Amino acid sequence: MHESPIIKLGGLRIDLSVVLMLVVTCAIVFILAKLATRKLSVENPSKIQNFMEWVIEFVQAQISSAMDFKKGKPFLALGVTMIMFIFVGNMLGLIFGVVTEYDNKDAATVFGQPIVSVTEKLDTLHAKGEAHPHAEVAWWKSPTADIGVTMGLALLVFVIVHYLGAVKNTKAYFKHYFQPYPVFFPINLIEQFSKLLTHGIRLYANIFAGEVLIGVIMGLASSSVVGAVLSVPLLMAWQGFSIFIGAIQAFIFVVLMMVYISQTVDMHHEEH
Amino acid sequence: MEGMALLAAGIVAGLGALGAGIGNGLLISKTVEGVARQPESKSTLQTLMFLGVGLIEVMPIIGVVLAFMFYGKAS
Repeated sequence: MHESPIIKLGGLRIDLSVVLMLVVTCAIVFILAKLATRKLSVENPSKIQNFMEWVIEFVQAQISSAMDFKKGKPFLALGVTMIMFIFVGNMLGLIFGVVTEYDNKDAATVFGQPIVSVTEKLDTLHAKGEAHPHAEVAWWKSPTADIGVTMGLALLVFVIVHYLGAVKNTKAYFKHYFQPYPVFFPINLIEQFSKLLTHGIRLYANIFAGEVLIGVIMGLASSSVVGAVLSVPLLMAWQGFSIFIGAIQAFIFVVLMMVYISQTVDMHHEEH
Repeated sequence: MEGMALLAAGIVAGLGALGAGIGNGLLISKTVEGVARQPESKSTLQTLMFLGVGLIEVMPIIGVVLAFMFYGKAS
């Protein structure tokens, strides 16, 4: 398995590959959106403008299936940003990988900081009595294959949902914690937190498992001649399936976000 | 101890796959039934089906991630 490039900064362990990939994903999404809206035209729309209009109409349809579109209109920009960010992030890990190798601890530095994960791995290998300790660091991966990123996105949605519920729909929002009976309060509380957890972990686990399996297939390819021949169709099939999974997970993340928002914003007094 | 971890990895991946297989089978067969009855609602049903498949797929995949963690503990 490849290590992640972790450095220590002010007592925090920061994964540099995630930082790098977040910047790359943001840049790609920004450039895509900028290109698509550069020469807007009604009579003669460019191909990329058509594509962006399709994305926006798609998110619009998801919002109006979850709630009244009049109430859901403010979340259109949020939904389009989320679906593009997550989709691009899911796809990035599939195209290639950047791996650096380290044999001694002095070389394992970045910006003058030691890469903690590599030095720790080399130390444990050295303690096991290995003569030539060796560590590999993966720099290029999906940002969504890191639990910090996906839980961050889920937390963003969580905060939006509960802030809007408490501010815009105060009475119904606080009342629903005690539905159908006040005894159900702890269960309702657990429900809210399990929503947050599953929202983040769902995306992370799918993308992470996909990347782990790609790693396993690559290991098979380098193990023997038969493995190398076998790994080609396997990798093709799994890459195709990963594209499907990545698209579906981006879609599900946005649909669930809209459902959660509609549950607090669009809550009716008489229904419960 | 290592043997138990490997056994746990095998069980969690296998049972996860079993559950997801049953769940996806039920979901897709019902969708096919619905489309056969009302072909005009195909697109709505398909979207709902993919949503459901995505929700079902999570459990085995979390199971596989757990299995990899157990496997890492064993080796």
